[in-house]
Amino acid sequence: MMIVHVLSGQISLNFSDIVSAFNTYDATNTNHIIFFEFRIPRMTMSILSGSALAVSGMLMQTLFNNPLAGPYVLGINSGASLIVALTLLTGIPFFTSDFGLISGALFGALLFGSIILFFSFYIRSHISLLLIGLMISSFVGAIITTLESMSAAEQLKSFTFWSFGSLQQTTLNQLPLIITGCFIGFLGSLLLSKPLNAMVLGETSAKSLGIHIRSFRIWIIAITALLTGTITAFCGPIAFVGLAIPNLTRMIFQTQNHQYLLLGNLLIGGIFMLTCDTIIQLVEPYFVLPINAFTSLIGAPFVVYIVLKKLI
Amino acid sequence: MISLNSIDVGYKTPLLSVNLSLELGNLYALVGKNGSGKTTLLQSIIGMIPAIHGEIILDEKSIHSMSNLERAQKIAFVETKFMGINYLTGFEYVAIGRTPYTNALGRLSDRDKMQIAKSLEIVGITHLSGKHTTRMSDGERQLLQVARALAQETPYILMDEPTAFLDYSNKRNLIEKLKKIAHEEQKCILLSCHDLEICLENNLPLLIVSESEKKIEFRNNASKEEILQLAFS
Repeated sequence: MMIVHVLSGQISLNFSDIVSAFNTYDATNTNHIIFFEFRIPRMTMSILSGSALAVSGMLMQTLFNNPLAGPYVLGINSGASLIVALTLLTGIPFFTSDFGLISGALFGALLFGSIILFFSFYIRSHISLLLIGLMISSFVGAIITTLESMSAAEQLKSFTFWSFGSLQQTTLNQLPLIITGCFIGFLGSLLLSKPLNAMVLGETSAKSLGIHIRSFRIWIIAITALLTGTITAFCGPIAFVGLAIPNLTRMIFQTQNHQYLLLGNLLIGGIFMLTCDTIIQLVEPYFVLPINAFTSLIGAPFVVYIVLKKLI
Repeated sequence: MISLNSIDVGYKTPLLSVNLSLELGNLYALVGKNGSGKTTLLQSIIGMIPAIHGEIILDEKSIHSMSNLERAQKIAFVETKFMGINYLTGFEYVAIGRTPYTNALGRLSDRDKMQIAKSLEIVGITHLSGKHTTRMSDGERQLLQVARALAQETPYILMDEPTAFLDYSNKRNLIEKLKKIAHEEQKCILLSCHDLEICLENNLPLLIVSESEKKIEFRNNASKEEILQLAFS
């Protein structure tokens, strides 16, 4: 899948190009440059974004004991979007740098993660919590629209492209930062797998099994914010992966053990995004399909399917 | 031994004052009206709600001075109903009871596995270990909860109305089993219950919540009339 992905795209590469790019890199060979400067970052971002969003979704679903939770539904993506909108649309140089963007998105994700966490202390009902998440999303959406209407054309354009979601804006030298962020997130999730397993039984039981609920919740939100924030900063708000993939993983792996689920989400999330992006690359000569639109096109019917299956 | 020496439980205003001690090897039933403070008392004993006045002592140590982990190794709690969870098997569910003993990644040691198998065997539901919890009956799931509490290897087990959603034969079966387990495994089990007849049939020592006097009366051999008089008049 990874090979198919790097080979597909507007300028065709063949397998021998890849082999020679690894063996004898030639800085004047266009194909080699395309491979290292464009294809490798894009492929890595596909895998990382899919995995990171799927793992965030898994954490949210277990924390809130709700299969319909996810970073997008609960407004954590929106939080990151809002801060990115503020930074991109105001155009202050510091904030438009890599570091400014990523820390802005992280801050936004963390802030809105904490808001939803705060509400979850008072609201027992899952439906109400999702409703609040949706309200936060649309509230933030409204603020972003207002900001958009006030900003200059150039800045508006860069924000709009960002909000379409894209895996190809990342450059090779940004990758180490993103990989580090995701790796810390994945490692943190692994370390939380034991309390996550107990949390499946609900809060009271988890607490009576010796889990320190308060610190557990804070860690979960922090890791989700790290993963979602990092990905959102570079790829834009990607919908539905965080909601659909964890459910799919549970169906395929048939388990509630979060060590297996973590592995499953990493794999299936990565493969899913890689497949989506390969399809996008294949249709690119005919029309441009933003990744955010494409994941929703697949994700939305899938969520309907889950809900229907629950009802039946 | 659980010692409750002049404890006041409740949220802000005292709901009940309690003065008694519970010993290992016994199954105790807590009976009383809805809203009289049974659940509050249970939650106070497991340390979820702090007592307003006085200290709850487990084996000479106050529960509030214990860490979460220490408490989880002393006292297990069983909720009224376990609805079953998708893809979670009986074995996996009981294995969660080992949480206070496993390493940081939750890996089960041989001793953990042995304890899980033993717990399933004591309750007599070894055949449920491979079954999915969502496909079990309410009665089976309730027994599974007991097995999970046993796997937690605690001297004390508290249960909040475990018989509430069971049919008559399952209720009797559960109470008889619990009584046997308390005696044979030397556990102290306290459950809240609305099924007076079954408690009386099994001669359970009773903790009767007297709502009018806001206290708990302990009776070892009470007649039904006396209980009704104390709890429901």
